[in-house]
Amino acid sequence: MDISSDESDDWFIESLNTYKDLHVFQLEHPTKVIEWTGDKNICVAGYTGSRSEILELLLPLKLYAGENQGLCAERDFKVQHGGFSEEPIESLIHISGTRCVVTSGSSSSTLQIWDIGGDDSDVIKRTGVINLKSTSVKGCKIAPGLTDEPAVLHGSCISEVQLTEIATGRVLYTVAKESSDSVSGLQFVNACVFLICASDGTLFMGDTRDPSTCHYPLEDSKSGLHWAFGLRSDSSQSEPSGCTVARLSSSGHMLLSDLRNLQSPFCQTQLNVQHDASKNDFLNVSWAPVLDRCLSVSGFDGTVHIYNTINWSTEGQSPQPVFSHRGHEMSDEAKYSGSPPVVTTHSWHQSRPKTILSVATDGSLHVWDWVDKITDR
Amino acid sequence: MPDIKVTPLGAGQDVGRSCILVSIGGKNIMLDCGMHMGYNDDRRFPDFSYITQNGRLTEFLDCVIISHFHLDHCGALPYMSEMVGYDGPIYMTHPTKAICPILLEDFRKITVDKKGETNFFTSQMIKDCMKKVVPLNLHQTVQVDEELEIKAYYAGHVLGAAMVQIKVGSESVVYTGDYNMTPDRHLGAAWIDKCRPDLLISESTYATTIRDSKRCRERDFLKKVHETVERGGKVLIPVFALGRAQELCILLETFWERMNLKAPIYFSTGLTEKANHYYKLFITWTNQKIRKTFVQRNMFEFKHIKAFDRSYADNPGPMVVFATPGMLHAGQSLLIFKKWAGNEKNMVIMPGYCVQGTVGHKILNGQKKLEMEGRATLDVKLQVEYMSFSAHADAKGIMQLIRMAEPRNMLLVHGEAKKMEFLKDKIEQEFSISCYMPANGETTSIVTNPSVPVDISLNLLKREMALGGPLPDAKRPRTMHGTLIMKDNSLRLVSPEQALKELGLSEHQLRFTCRVQLHDPHSDNDTLGRIYTHLKSVLKTYSIQHVPDGTVIVESIVIKVTSSAEEPNLKVILLSWSYQTADSTATKKKKIQL
Repeated sequence: MDISSDESDDWFIESLNTYKDLHVFQLEHPTKVIEWTGDKNICVAGYTGSRSEILELLLPLKLYAGENQGLCAERDFKVQHGGFSEEPIESLIHISGTRCVVTSGSSSSTLQIWDIGGDDSDVIKRTGVINLKSTSVKGCKIAPGLTDEPAVLHGSCISEVQLTEIATGRVLYTVAKESSDSVSGLQFVNACVFLICASDGTLFMGDTRDPSTCHYPLEDSKSGLHWAFGLRSDSSQSEPSGCTVARLSSSGHMLLSDLRNLQSPFCQTQLNVQHDASKNDFLNVSWAPVLDRCLSVSGFDGTVHIYNTINWSTEGQSPQPVFSHRGHEMSDEAKYSGSPPVVTTHSWHQSRPKTILSVATDGSLHVWDWVDKITDR
Repeated sequence: MPDIKVTPLGAGQDVGRSCILVSIGGKNIMLDCGMHMGYNDDRRFPDFSYITQNGRLTEFLDCVIISHFHLDHCGALPYMSEMVGYDGPIYMTHPTKAICPILLEDFRKITVDKKGETNFFTSQMIKDCMKKVVPLNLHQTVQVDEELEIKAYYAGHVLGAAMVQIKVGSESVVYTGDYNMTPDRHLGAAWIDKCRPDLLISESTYATTIRDSKRCRERDFLKKVHETVERGGKVLIPVFALGRAQELCILLETFWERMNLKAPIYFSTGLTEKANHYYKLFITWTNQKIRKTFVQRNMFEFKHIKAFDRSYADNPGPMVVFATPGMLHAGQSLLIFKKWAGNEKNMVIMPGYCVQGTVGHKILNGQKKLEMEGRATLDVKLQVEYMSFSAHADAKGIMQLIRMAEPRNMLLVHGEAKKMEFLKDKIEQEFSISCYMPANGETTSIVTNPSVPVDISLNLLKREMALGGPLPDAKRPRTMHGTLIMKDNSLRLVSPEQALKELGLSEHQLRFTCRVQLHDPHSDNDTLGRIYTHLKSVLKTYSIQHVPDGTVIVESIVIKVTSSAEEPNLKVILLSWSYQTADSTATKKKKIQL
C-alpha cells in the first residue's frame, strides 16, 4: 500500500476546507480523452484493451442545481449513450453543433466517424471513416474545423496534416511542409487560421486560404523533450490578436507566446515538476475559459496544478501553483494498485469558473471546484 | 422446450415498485411485493389480476420471497396476503422479518391516520401477515416442497438484504433484489458463488449510472454539519433506528475526534435501545469492522455522542441530534424540527426517501410553510439538505455480479429498453449470454436446457466402456442404448436384459431372413466359397468368417447357400440378421452391398 489510509483520510478531511465541491467516480476503463459534447455532457473513451467503449456521460445534476443544491441528491454521472470501438482510442473530438464525434486510434489507418445518437436510442454508431496515409501508434492528432461544414484537421506528422470534409471525405487543405516531425497537437484559432505544435516544440501557423505555413522553432531546443500546447483565445472566431499560446515540455519548461509574435515568447519559466519520458503521452496544458490568465497543467504524475500567469516573469523562480489537486493519488484504487496513477487528461468546465474534470490511468474520474484562499473567504 | 417465465408486475415504465412473478419447473414464485410510493390510489398496489382475476392467490403461488425491508419491495405484502388473500409461506431473512413490521406499521399510520385513507391494510393485518413468514439464514438451502428449494445470499445494501437462488430440479433462477458491490462502513458487499443459474434477474434502475464515491458523500455530510455547527447552528438528522444512523454516528465520532470539536452530539434514547437490540440480534449481517467494535465495546458508547433529553433541544449554541422517526412524520424528530425550523442558522439533513404526506416529503419538495395541527403554520427557515447514502450497484456492479454468478441468461427489470441497448450489447458481448429487458406486464420466456439425472447400472456402464471409443465426457455427448425405468421417484438406466428380468418378461429374438436367387453351376459349398471370397474383397473393413458348418458370417449377418435336388443350379442364398442390428448403418450398408 503506497498511501496509508491515514494520509488519505487526512486529505479528505482537509478537502472540506480546500474544495467547494468534490466528486470522485470510478470508470470501468480508464480514458485519455474528455470532450464536451454539450453544456452538461462529456464523452470519454477507453484506450486499454482491444475493444474500447465510447461513453457519453451526463454530469451530476447537483452541479447545476444552483440555489437548490441542497435539495438535489443527484450526484451520479449518467451513461446516456455508449458504443464500441475496435481499437484503443487515443483522441476524440466533437464537431460543434452536431451529434458527430471523430476518433483516432492506435492501430488503424483510419479516423472513425460516429453518431452519438439522440433520444431514440442509446447506442453510439459508427457512420464512416476517413482514410489516412499511415498508421501511428500514438494515434493521429485531430482537431475540429470551425467552419459551418463539418471538417477535421488531422495528421501524425507535419507533412501529412490535412483538412478533410467529413461528409464527403474531400481534402480541403494540405500543409505543404516537407517535415517528418511528429505532431503533438493542432487546433484552429478561427475558421481559417490554425496552429500545429510539433513534438519538439516548433509551432506552425497556417491559413486555409493560403498554401504556405510559417514555422517558429524554439530558440534553444533540447533534444529528448516532448512538447504539448494549449491555446487561449479571448473569444472564439476572433482575430489572432487576442490569442495566447502556452507550450509545455516534458521537463516542465513553459513558454507563453502571443499569436502576433510567435517567434519570441513573452514569458518563459520552469515549473517544479518531475521529468519522466514514459508519460509524454499525457502531457496537458489548458487555459481556463473563464478565469483570467489562469492555466492548468497535468500529466507528470497524479496531480493537476493550477497557475495564475499574471505575475509570471521570465527571470523569477519557479512559480507556485495557486492550487494542486492530489485526489487521484489519494483514491482507494491508488492504494491497492502497484504504481501510482497518472492524470491522463483534464478539462475545464465551460461556464463554472473553477470547476475541472480530471481522469487518471486507474480509471478514476474527478469533478472538483477548489477554494481560492484569497478570493473565496 | 422447458422454459422459465418471468413477468414483472406493473404497468408501462413504472419503476416505483418491485413485484416479479417467476414460473420455473411448474412452480410459481412471487419475488418481492412492493408498494409504489408515488401513487395515492390503488395503482400503488401491484396488479394481481395477472395471476388470477378474482379470488385468493394461495393455490396459484408456491411461495413469496421478500428481498429486504424497503417499502418499494415489501410495502404491499399485507395487502396481498390479507386483503387479496394468500396463505402460503412468505420467505425473508431474520433481520427483514424483524424490521418489516415496524416499517409497515409506520407507513400504515402515516397513510391511514394522517392522510385518512380507507382502502389500506390494518395493524392486525400486518400481524397476521407476519405469522406466515418463514425466516431464512444465509447460505442455507430451504426446501419449500419436494421439488422447490431456495437459498439466500448476502446482498449488502441494507441490513438483512438478500439475493435469492430458486431451484427446481436442475433449473435455477437468482433474483438480486437491491444489492451493492462495494462495502461501506457498516455493511459488506454482495457475494454469490459461481452457481451458474439459468437466469439472473436484476434491477436496472441504476444500471446506467456511475456512482459518486461513498467518501465524497460522507465528505459533503461532514462539510454541512461542520459549517452549521461553526456558525452556531443546530443540525437535526431524522433517522430510522437502524442502518444509516450507526454509519453516520461512527463517521461523526471519527470527525469530531480528529478535528477536536466541542459541540455536543446527541442520539435520542429510543434509538439507542432499539438499535442495540437489533444489532445484537443481527451482528452477523454487518461488516467485519462493526463486529470487531461491537465485541470491544457497546455500539453506542461513543466519546462524543450522548443520550438526548428533550430539554436539550432548548439549549443555546450548536449541537447535532439524531432522532426518530426518519420522515419527520411524528414523535421526537418532529418535535425538535418544530422548535428549530424558524432559525436559518439551523439545518435538517434528510438521509433518505420520505413518503408522501410526511413533513419530510414536503420540505424536500421545497415547501417553506407547513400546516401543523390546530391550523398553526410553521415557517421553514432552516437549511434543508437531502443526502442519499443508499448503496446501489451501478453498471460496473452489474458486470461484477454476472462475473461472479456466471448465469446462462440475464434479465433486467425496470428499465426502458431503448435506453439500455448499450448495456444489453455490453453484457451479451462480454459474457456471450442473452440479455432480456421486459417491460412491466410483459412475460419473457427463457428456454432452458435442463439435465435430468439418471442412475446407470454398473453392467450397462461396463458394456458401454467395452465397446470402446472415447470415454464419457460432459462436453462430448455420445449416444448409447439402454432401457429407462421410471419407478417411484427414481430414474434408472439398465441393460435390456436386466429390464426384462426385473419386469418378469422373457426376451424374444427376432431374426429376419431374405432369400436371393442366383444361377451358379458350382456346388453349394463352392458357391458359398465364391461368395465368401467376393465379400472379403469388397467388404474389407468388416469381419467376415467362413465357418466350416457351411455358413458365412458377416458381422452378425448369416449367409447360407442351399439348392434343391431338382434344380441344382438354382442357388438360394439365405441372408439372415437379427432385429438388433437391423437398423444400424453398418447393416444397411452391408445389405446394399450384398
